[in-house]
Amino acid sequence: MKRVLVGLLALLGLALAQTTLRVGVLLPLSGVSSVSGKAALNGIQLAADQVNAGGKVKLELVTADDGTDPAKAVPALTKLMTVDKVDIVIGGLASGVTYALSGPIKQYKPLFLCIGAASSVVENAFSGYDQFFHYHPWDYHNVAAALDFFKSLYSQGARKVAILYEDGPFGSAGIKIYQEQLQKAGYAVQAEPFKTGSGNFTAILTRFKAFKPDILYWIGYDVDALPISTQVRQVGLAPKLVYGAPPSWPVGFDKNPLSSDVVGMTAWLPSVSNTESRKFSAAYKKQYGEITDEYMAPMGYTIVLSLAKAAEAAGSADKDKIAEALAKVRMDTPFGPLAFKPSDTGKTQYQGFDSSIWLQFQYLGGTRRPVFPKSVAARPLRYPGSY
Amino acid sequence: MELLLQTLLNGVLAAGVYALVASGLALAVGVVGIVNFAHGEFLMIGAFVSYLLFAARGIDPLVSLGVAAVAVFLVGAISYYGLIRPVLSAPELNQMLLTFGLSVLLQNLALLLFGADTRVVSPPYQGATLSLGGLSFGVVPFAAFGLSLLILLGLYWFLGRTRLGFAVRAVAQNRLAPGLLGIETQQVYLLAFGLSAALAGIAGVMLSVMLYASPTVGFAYTLKAFAIVVMAGLGNLRGVLWAALALAMAEALVSTYVPGGGGWVEAVFFLVIFAVLTWRSWRRT
Repeated sequence: MKRVLVGLLALLGLALAQTTLRVGVLLPLSGVSSVSGKAALNGIQLAADQVNAGGKVKLELVTADDGTDPAKAVPALTKLMTVDKVDIVIGGLASGVTYALSGPIKQYKPLFLCIGAASSVVENAFSGYDQFFHYHPWDYHNVAAALDFFKSLYSQGARKVAILYEDGPFGSAGIKIYQEQLQKAGYAVQAEPFKTGSGNFTAILTRFKAFKPDILYWIGYDVDALPISTQVRQVGLAPKLVYGAPPSWPVGFDKNPLSSDVVGMTAWLPSVSNTESRKFSAAYKKQYGEITDEYMAPMGYTIVLSLAKAAEAAGSADKDKIAEALAKVRMDTPFGPLAFKPSDTGKTQYQGFDSSIWLQFQYLGGTRRPVFPKSVAARPLRYPGSY
Repeated sequence: MELLLQTLLNGVLAAGVYALVASGLALAVGVVGIVNFAHGEFLMIGAFVSYLLFAARGIDPLVSLGVAAVAVFLVGAISYYGLIRPVLSAPELNQMLLTFGLSVLLQNLALLLFGADTRVVSPPYQGATLSLGGLSFGVVPFAAFGLSLLILLGLYWFLGRTRLGFAVRAVAQNRLAPGLLGIETQQVYLLAFGLSAALAGIAGVMLSVMLYASPTVGFAYTLKAFAIVVMAGLGNLRGVLWAALALAMAEALVSTYVPGGGGWVEAVFFLVIFAVLTWRSWRRT
């Protein structure tokens, strides 16, 4: 009887000591960003399960689909805030959607842990909102990382870049900066917009033929990856490098021979060798039975672990106290160390990662292999590639 | 000169698939008299048939063409019997709402079954190219164009040279009189709607190789198909080929010669329709 009482008291003590957080997760589980959204959700769920098993913080996730569509995202956020009564929201993957959410977020004032949304337009929109924690690098960080790579290609003789960019906020937002920076690096640049999902690039690629680009650089979505890879060959453009920058790649693209030698940028690959990355990969494989290449999975994982760490430090479910603790969090992640500081422009207060997390990979032999920077390269870049 | 020829070639090759998708839509509008907003979803089913056969059994999309045509014909026939037939005498707005609902239902069913991921089919000839003088083009778009042309010629032959084809045209011209002459109007409708769906299914297989398979793959092509059908004149099957050619050419020329023209692709389609409809109305007055 005495033992039972002690056990019950211990359980009661644990329950009282445990901080319970109700967290809204608003991600694109359908629409053009769904591959990234689902990967992010897997990472979030994995971390939440680990945190709940730890017993110090209890996370209750309320998941909603933003459909990669502002018209669906705003009502979904409103429901999370008014019906599900969450104080903390993890989300904001696509820039266009996150921009649309900025008004309602400022209205309901949750602690907003932003997983993606690299566009500076979003940085401007959240300027001055003190509960905004942006983990993903901004577009100027992406430009800086890509430029380092392009500078190394310049030293290998590349001089002309043809840029194909989708004409929505994702593709267009940083295009001027890209053009200027590439020109500053010595490149001749020709840029053309396209409609994502149109599938017809032959006309624009034919136009590029006269320019004879060394590098074809496309900024679009997964739906554009195969048509571009196919039509580059069909019009006989013959660039020395095809460089793609979609948020995610299509299912099965790595096994398609047309993906061979295509280069892309990512923040993480399972082959990245650091302790947290290895831990994440092993846990992910154990839970889902497969390894992911999508960096949004460890990004979601990192956000939840940092939130739990902050909640533990705050010892409270109060979002203001958690935000205060989160601002001081220092932790190792699959991407490297995480610590929040003001963004480079100073418009937002809490920026997690910067250009240092980006790496360039190349599709070689049906998998993505890190090729740049040299510190993470698993093998040398194949340049010129065969397209 | 080479750039112009290459641009014209790009336009001609694109026109084949546009015409195939639009012919199915024109058949539904012209014969059954129904504006089918779910036409793109029939195309999507064809794309998924191709993807699933390739992913599960490695079956070449060329073989999947026949399977998809039969499968989507059946889906079209069932949709006709279960949904379209009861509303044939209802106001047009109700019919349109019904097919719009069918479109949403099929798209969401695909989302539930396969998710929203973009999936690719990888036959070995996918990136193969042909060169003709200074011109270069893909084997797959060329074959798709040739196949579309053959199917459309077969369709025109069927409608213009066979008894069943005459019956289809008779029903298209008048809903009541053929019935009085012993033609089974309902069966003709069923055949026409099934054929319309099958054409979309075949186009879906082609697009699974040229683009991708996803629940939303049919949307862009349905919009273009509507534009082509309107330009050709509602239900005018022969006009579809020329309308598809004109619109694909306009698209290719603007993309190639107008700076930033790639972003104008969809606008070009609708600008051409604007011009055609306005011209027609002026001609009548």
